[in-house]
Order: sequence, then C-alpha cells, then structure tokens
Amino acid sequence: MKKGLITGVIGILMVGLSFFALAGEVKNPDTFVEATIGTIDSLDPAWAYDTASGEAIQTICETLIFWKGERTDSFVPLLATQVPSVENGLISPDGLTYTFPIRKGVKFHNGEPLTPEDVEYSIERAMVQDRDGGPVWMLYEPLLGISGSRDAEGNIVIKFEDIDKAVEVKGDSVVFHLKKPYPPFLSILANTWASVVNKKFVVENGGWPGTKDTWKEYNNPAPGKETLHKIACGTGPFKLERWDPGVEIVFVRNDDYWREPAKLKRVIIKIVDEWTTRKLMFLAGDADTIYVPRQYIKELEGVEGIRVYKDLPSLSQGSAFFNFKINPEGNPYIGSGKLDGKGIPPDFFSDKDVRLGFAYSFDYETYLKDAWMGEAIQPTGPIIKGLPFYNPEQEVYYYDPKKAEEHFKKAWGGELWKKGFKLTILYNSGNVQRQTAASIFRDNIEALNPKFRIEIRPVEWADYVRDIVTGKLTLFIIGWLADYPDPHNFVYPYMHSEGTFSKWQSYRNPIVDGLIKRGIEEVNPTIRKRYYDQLQMIYYIDVPGVGLHQPLGRHYERDWVKGWYYNPILPNAGLGGYFYSLSKG
Amino acid sequence: MKSYIIRRVLLVIPVLFGVSIIIFAILSLFSPEQRAATFITDVRQLRDIQGVIRKHHLDAPIYMQYFSWIKEVLKGNLGWSKTASRPVLEAFFYFLPNTVELSLFSAPFIILIGIYLGSTAAVHQDKSVDHITRAIAIIGWSLPTFWFGLLLLMIFYGYFKGLFPPESLGLNSSLYVNSKDFMRFTRINTIDALLNREWWIFVDALRHLVLPVITLTVVQCALVMRIMRSSMLEVLGRGYVITARAKGADEKTVIKKHVRRNAMIPVITVSGYLFAGLMNGVVITETIFNRKGLGWWWWRAAVQLDIPAILGAVLFNGVLFVLTNLVIDLLYAYIDPRIRLG
Repeated sequence: MKKGLITGVIGILMVGLSFFALAGEVKNPDTFVEATIGTIDSLDPAWAYDTASGEAIQTICETLIFWKGERTDSFVPLLATQVPSVENGLISPDGLTYTFPIRKGVKFHNGEPLTPEDVEYSIERAMVQDRDGGPVWMLYEPLLGISGSRDAEGNIVIKFEDIDKAVEVKGDSVVFHLKKPYPPFLSILANTWASVVNKKFVVENGGWPGTKDTWKEYNNPAPGKETLHKIACGTGPFKLERWDPGVEIVFVRNDDYWREPAKLKRVIIKIVDEWTTRKLMFLAGDADTIYVPRQYIKELEGVEGIRVYKDLPSLSQGSAFFNFKINPEGNPYIGSGKLDGKGIPPDFFSDKDVRLGFAYSFDYETYLKDAWMGEAIQPTGPIIKGLPFYNPEQEVYYYDPKKAEEHFKKAWGGELWKKGFKLTILYNSGNVQRQTAASIFRDNIEALNPKFRIEIRPVEWADYVRDIVTGKLTLFIIGWLADYPDPHNFVYPYMHSEGTFSKWQSYRNPIVDGLIKRGIEEVNPTIRKRYYDQLQMIYYIDVPGVGLHQPLGRHYERDWVKGWYYNPILPNAGLGGYFYSLSKG
Repeated sequence: MKSYIIRRVLLVIPVLFGVSIIIFAILSLFSPEQRAATFITDVRQLRDIQGVIRKHHLDAPIYMQYFSWIKEVLKGNLGWSKTASRPVLEAFFYFLPNTVELSLFSAPFIILIGIYLGSTAAVHQDKSVDHITRAIAIIGWSLPTFWFGLLLLMIFYGYFKGLFPPESLGLNSSLYVNSKDFMRFTRINTIDALLNREWWIFVDALRHLVLPVITLTVVQCALVMRIMRSSMLEVLGRGYVITARAKGADEKTVIKKHVRRNAMIPVITVSGYLFAGLMNGVVITETIFNRKGLGWWWWRAAVQLDIPAILGAVLFNGVLFVLTNLVIDLLYAYIDPRIRLG
C-alpha cells in the first residue's frame, strides 16, 4: 500500500518535471490559446451582439466582404468576388441597390457548396429572428428603414414580403434593395451579424425553413432557442470542434478551406477569471495571448518572451452625460429636489451654464494620466479618431476653474452660486475609471464654492443600469463601442432625440435630428463631412455631455506568435484578432 | 429505520418550497431594469432594454413569475442560465463532476489528517507535539485560501514552470478526453481515465489536483483537528477509559477502541457539513485554479444576478443539506449503537 503510494507520488512528480524540462520551447506549436474573461453568449450570428461571441463566429463563419487588413474604411471580397462600388456598377448610382457576385467553389464545413440562396437565406433568417437586444437592427435600418420587426409593445409590424423583397438572388449574385441610401451598409455587411450560414444545415437542425407561413414562429426566440446557439456551419478557416459554454471553445482547422488552409491547427479560447492564474499561464506558455486589465500592465513590463503592442486606438469612447430632465420620483440623488442648497431641481442641467461649469471643472489631463495611465486621448466629440469625418480641429473643453466659476455664477440667474447645491454621482463599483472621473468632478467643483456638494457613490452594475434607464441619474458616465466604423453609429446614440444616451438625457434638438437624417442618407462624402462637422460643433455648443476618453489599447502575445495585426473593428481586436493570419514558431 | 429515511427524504419538498418562496421574496426587491441588466452583455444592447424586460416578463407581478417558474420546474425546466449560456439543469450536470472530483480527493485528506492530528494532539496534551499541532492548525485555518492558493500556484506553476498547473487537465489530455476515442462515463476525469485505462490521463488529472487539494486540506483540516482534539480530551476523562486502563488494557487499545471511536460523533457532524460545503463548490479554490465547478458558476451567477442559476443553486443546496443531515444521523446510529432512529 505504502509502496504504491510512494510510486504514485514519484510518478506525478516525474510527469510534472518532464513538463518543467520543456519550459522555454514553443509550447503546442500548432495550437493557439487565448485566455480571457468574456463569456460567449451564442454562436448564432443573428443573435450575437457581444465581442466574445463575435470573435468565435468570425473564426467559423465568413461574410460577403471583410476588412482590408488594418483598414476600417476599405474591404476585400470574401464570399463575394468583388466589393461593390458605384464605379464597378455593383452599387446603383442612387445608392439603393447593392449587387454581390457570389464566389464559386466554396464549401461549408458540412461539405455543402455555397450558393447565392445561402446568402439570401442567411440575411433573411437574421431579419426573421430579430431578437430583443440583438444586432439585427443594423440590417433593418438600411433595408426596411425601421429599427426592427416589432413595435414597442412587441407586436410584429412588418410583412414577410418586406424581408423577402429586400434580399434577392439574381443569377449568381445576391442583390440588396435599400429603403434609402445608407453609406455604412458595406461596413454592416462586413460584420459577424451578416455571416453566411448553410441553409440546409440550419433547416436540418430545426431552424426556419425559409417559408412565409412559419416565419413568425422563429421571430424573437428565447435564449438558447436560436437554432445556431451551440452549433455552427460556416465556410471559415476553422471549424467548431467543441464549445463548453462558460468554459472554453475549441476550433480545428478547416483543411477544405477555399483559400490556403490556416497555419494553426487549433485555436482555443478559454475563460480564466483570476488575473494571477491567467498571467502565470501566459508566462508558462500555456496561453499565447491574454486579456490584461489596465491596472496590471506594470506586472508584465520588461518580461522576457513577451511582445507588447501599445497605443492601439480603439473605436470606443467614454463620456459624461448630463440629464436634462431627472426623474424625481423617489430619487435619492437630487436631495431636496429644489435649488435650496440641499439638492437640485430635476431640470438642473437644462441650464447651459451649469453644463459649462461642469465641463470646465473637469481636469481632462489628470484624468487621462491617472485613470488611464496616459493610454487614452480626449475625444473631440461623438465622432472619435479612427472614424470617417473625424475632425481633429474641433474645439474641446479643457480644465479652467475660472471659466467654470464664471458659468456657475451665471447659472440659474445667480441663485445657484448663492444657495449652492447638493447632488450624487454614481459609478458602477469596480470601474476605476468612472470612479476617478466622478472624483475629479467632485473635488474640482466643491473647491469652487463651499456650498457646492457632490457625493459619489458606487453601485452594482444592475443598479446603475436601472437608474440610467429610469432617468434617475444626475449625470452618468458610460462608454460606447462602435458597431460599425461610421459617424452615424456615434452621432445617433449621442445626439438624436431617439438615441440611446440622448433619450435617457432628454436631450432634444430638431436641427440635430435633421442633420443626422441627412448625414445617413447622403452618399457624397464631401457633403456628409459637412453635416458631421456641423453636428460635432453643435455637440460642443449645446454641451449635452463631455467626452472623457478614447482608450488606447494594448495587445500582449508570446514572442513566438506571428502574423497578428490590429484592426479596431474586429471583435476582441486586442486579443487574438483574426486567427487565420496567425502562426507560431 | 426505512420509514425514518423516507420521512426525512420527503422533508426535502417543503424545505425546497419554503426556500424558493424566500428567494422570490428577495427577488421582488429588484426592479425589472436591474434584472434585465443580467441580459445586457454589451452596452450597445441598452438601447433595447425595454424589449428585454418584456421578453423575459420581468415586469410581471412577482407571484406570476413564481407560478410560471414552478410550472416550468415541475416540467424539469429550471430556466436558462445566462452566465453558463445553457439551461440550468444542463449546466448543473456539466459543472458537478469537477466539484465532485475535487471534493472526493480533498475530503479524505481533510478528514483523515484532521482526525490524526486531533487525536495525536489530545493524546499528547500540553506536550510539544500538541503545541506544534495546534499552532499548525491555527496557522492553516487563518490562511486566506486566496492567498495560499495563489502562493502555491506561483511556486509550483510559476517558479517550477508547469510542475503542477491550474485547470483540470493539460491541453493534450483535454483534447483527448473530449475526442471520440475516449468514453465519458462520469465526466470525472480521474475516474473516466481509469475506466478507459488511460493512465497518462489519470496521472495528468492527478497532477492538476495536487495544488487545489493541498490548499483545501491545509485550510480546512484545522477545524476537524480542533473538534477531534476537544472531543478526545473529553472522552479521555470518562470513567470507562479509566476503567479500561485500570483493567490493564494497553494504551493503543484504549485509544483506538474506547476513546477515538466515541470521540468521533462531533467529527462526523463537522465532516458531513464540510463535505456538503465542498460539494457546494469551493468558490475561491475553483477560481484560482481555474477548475470550472459549481462554486465558480454560482459565484458568477450571484455577481451577475443570474436568477435561474441562483434558484437552481438554492434547490441543490436544499436537497444536499437535507440528505447530509440524514447521512449524519445514520452514521451516528452506526458509530453509537445506543442511538436509535425512528
């Protein structure tokens, strides 16, 4: 018994030491391992709207066109043979018809050949499915001119014919009919929600059969009921080998790929929540790239065997939004609810001088240095660097306590300065950047007048969301990540009266709404630029919010990894990126 | 005895019913928006939060939500776990084997080492062995699991690169056990490896168990040790022990037959709850060593307000603790024939 135990212990140690001996060599040379924290929601392209799912889908499925290397404004054909343009005649001069000739000789992972019908089916299926909180509004807007298949009460408001007519097969091509010109349409089609799936595979697995009479049954399914939740059949360079939801996903090379097969045999994305464990796996070579939270970047500085790419501009930004019409009902964040020094009235921020006072009180430089360790830039408005029509010359607010004081003295007819105010700014606990931003507002504003009092308070994410959407927050700090690289995707949520943020702020400007409409329907880039420059200027003048940061990201990889490149619009771009381009050795 | 067991098992039903009502009462404190936030995986989805509320009936009266949940539970559907991206029941059976494996390997070490150290300390009361053992126990009990686990990982995985790694299996083993060539009988890696006669998998799985088992043993066995020691000291002072010694029984027999066995009852109680606790998932150990078990899942569910998963956890715990109490009672009767059940 004792002998057996000793033999067992020695055996385990020997095996362990044999691994120890391997240290320093390229581990698992044909397998790429990414260790991260994000859970994949679904493998269904029509469902997935999170970056973790997007990264997985992009590995298995393909779109008609794809981003050209690091560029976010030009494309290469993938399942189409050409990128449509007015010049090559594949986009009609009025910008309403897009024709995609479909590539021949492409096979799905189940061996079925790709046909134009698969492309038509994939887009129509996405529109049929259209789940709440999903990405398919991006197809609805250009194709049907509405944001989805249901109204606010959940009733279906479209006919199947609307979807059917929007996408058609013509010979070897697929034609999209747009309701109105929509310049970012190609960008939308280059993303995972427009991935092409095999119709036969979907139908065999209980999905929508492509018929008119049953389409409503497949609309807005419950979580997990979407056909492609955990199965996949694309044309991509990797096939799905296994997905253990919440644990890891494994892809294996598609040796029958229409281009040259990938250099890697396998790709594994696994969830490793604990930072130290993740770091040790990275250092031991058991992970080739990892997610590194900003607060830990110093721990990997100067470590041998690791390559770091810095200052990678992301297509995201964080801002502070002022609430013009705070919901006073049972609201603990506005004190007395009056301008009496013990609270604020619900329309406190409707006074522009209050907003300007806040805007000039914020020390942007200190914030970027302290909260982002200098790895972020100040946005010039909703249209951030990296987007078309970004205007680097646009004026921005800066820290100027004198100007802040000036505006606060003018606010509310001078009453504010005399009486003072008290309000609460919330941030979601654990979010160091938002906490720092809230502290800067508090410290700098309280320093101007002892009657100004700001309390900052951490709350759980769920509480934060509740208070934002119910309009209870005085001002809220939150970020936005690009769906597609076009200014429309930012000016709409930031400025339109129905936009995500502006609606919660009760910010309305009919001129803005008109400019946004004209901007998205205009195909001439010169004219579009004019609209977006005006919108940027209005945002500066109206000051419904202030841009705080546009993060600059990092990418960490083992030095044996080759072929990585950064395209900010790719899901989880700072991690594995596009696995097809990677190799090890 | 049979009727006693049946009665105790049936007790599970009212316990579960009561607990589920309490949980739903707590749920009523959360607004629909708060609960909808669970389904928001990306800030861009916030634009459609009202649709999410409507879809999941989060704005329905809480009693309606309870009845529809009960209805589904009776059909065997415990709902959808957002954090596990799969149905609760499926997720439960997916994560259970990892927790069972860790518990099966840790519990014997914790209990046996605890009993051994406890009885040794008691027999050598107030001698250096006793002092050292107690000091070790106190240090072990005081060690934060988080800190100790990470320390072990840094030494045996970080410093000795890859000697005892985190997770449940290495890359090649993991790929192999998930291939068609490997039969999954129990989904417990060590047991399945033995059943498949794949010794290299077995050794690899053991290698991945070393550090979490050491962590749990060092931290947890102090409790068993302390209980065992006090219980032994109490029994050592009893009349029948003095009588046994007076009759000339040798010390080994006295300790083994008369003292240790009688001192076991409180240890059984503690061990039962300890095992139930392990089965409930050891959140920190599972997180540090990246072993995806029940504790890891439920921790994520609690943090992200994954209500169906939390309710599933409550149901499981209700069953587990009722059964644990039953087993403890049965063991009492076995250890001490004077105890009669019924």
